[in-house]
Amino acid sequence: MNGEAISDVGVAHAAELLAFTEAVMRGDDAWVARTRAALRAVLSPEAYVAVAAIIAAFNVVDRVADATGIPLDPMLLGMSADVRDELQLERFASSANTRETP
Amino acid sequence: MDDLDYSAVGMPVRHELRAAHRLIFEHVRAPGNWWTGVQRVAIAAEARRATSCPLCRARKEGLSPSAVSGEHVDTGALPPNVVDVVHRIRTDPGRLSHAWFEGVVAAGLDAPHYVELVAVVTLVTGVDFFCRSLGLASFPLPDPLPGTPSCHLPASARPGTAWVPMIAPEDATGPEADMYPPAPFIPNIVRALSLVPDAVRTLWRSSDAHYLPVAEIGNPAARPAALDRMQTELIAARVSALNECFY
Repeated sequence: MNGEAISDVGVAHAAELLAFTEAVMRGDDAWVARTRAALRAVLSPEAYVAVAAIIAAFNVVDRVADATGIPLDPMLLGMSADVRDELQLERFASSANTRETP
Repeated sequence: MDDLDYSAVGMPVRHELRAAHRLIFEHVRAPGNWWTGVQRVAIAAEARRATSCPLCRARKEGLSPSAVSGEHVDTGALPPNVVDVVHRIRTDPGRLSHAWFEGVVAAGLDAPHYVELVAVVTLVTGVDFFCRSLGLASFPLPDPLPGTPSCHLPASARPGTAWVPMIAPEDATGPEADMYPPAPFIPNIVRALSLVPDAVRTLWRSSDAHYLPVAEIGNPAARPAALDRMQTELIAARVSALNECFY
């Protein structure tokens, strides 16, 4: 998740999903095409389109969140403490939006 | 507006997604609360232009965006301060700061105009990522609709924990009564654009189609079509990590 080697995370086709997501987000067209082919080999057409929809959705909400400075909701803050520590999310500059909340 | 062309995908794209994309483009082309349809389409075009801007690329690679100076390569349709805001949101959202936002306001872009701009940039960015994922060329931007902005400023928007005023769910009454989706909890991500109510309506309807209805997000058994929840959240988390989004 943080760029470390992908091991068995218990999610079906995790390696293909992550490789494709990274390619779409960062890569050139050739990289996207290679990872798309690998993903299409293991997913149904409907699932492949759903992957695209999730990538789209979170490129929207990430930008809305970071452009408006919203803090993480108190309920979600409590629920996500372990995950945030594990993934070291505090290193993101946008974590300041939540730290500033009394 | 012409139908959006998905034929190059080579497989069905479900109706809900097509409808959401059409909704987004109809939203963008229409006059808003503060920007005309012409300006809103220009903002969308500028967001696309940002992806090939050398200044944005240099800033993204720099230790700090403010350490890199220069001029954006832009469409020429918008003032420089607006161009900079559009480009920053599109290409480096994870390093936006409260100080930066205060500078944006000081430079003449007030919060209502800013929020409406955020909505246009982010919604079109989402559609563009959908297309990129499926190997589609970005859909042509729609022709703008004539008309003047409504200048509607919701009376119940209040300064609070975000950089911009927001409307609490209990205060979403009158013209804003239908703004929020039916859900037991309205998280900040849904409230974020509430200074521009139609942006909220478009955002959550789009999110319903692309991810999950707001009311279902807290239900671990809920899942989007054709993927399981673990797969969905894996992709979402990776996108957000790459965008350096803490929320």
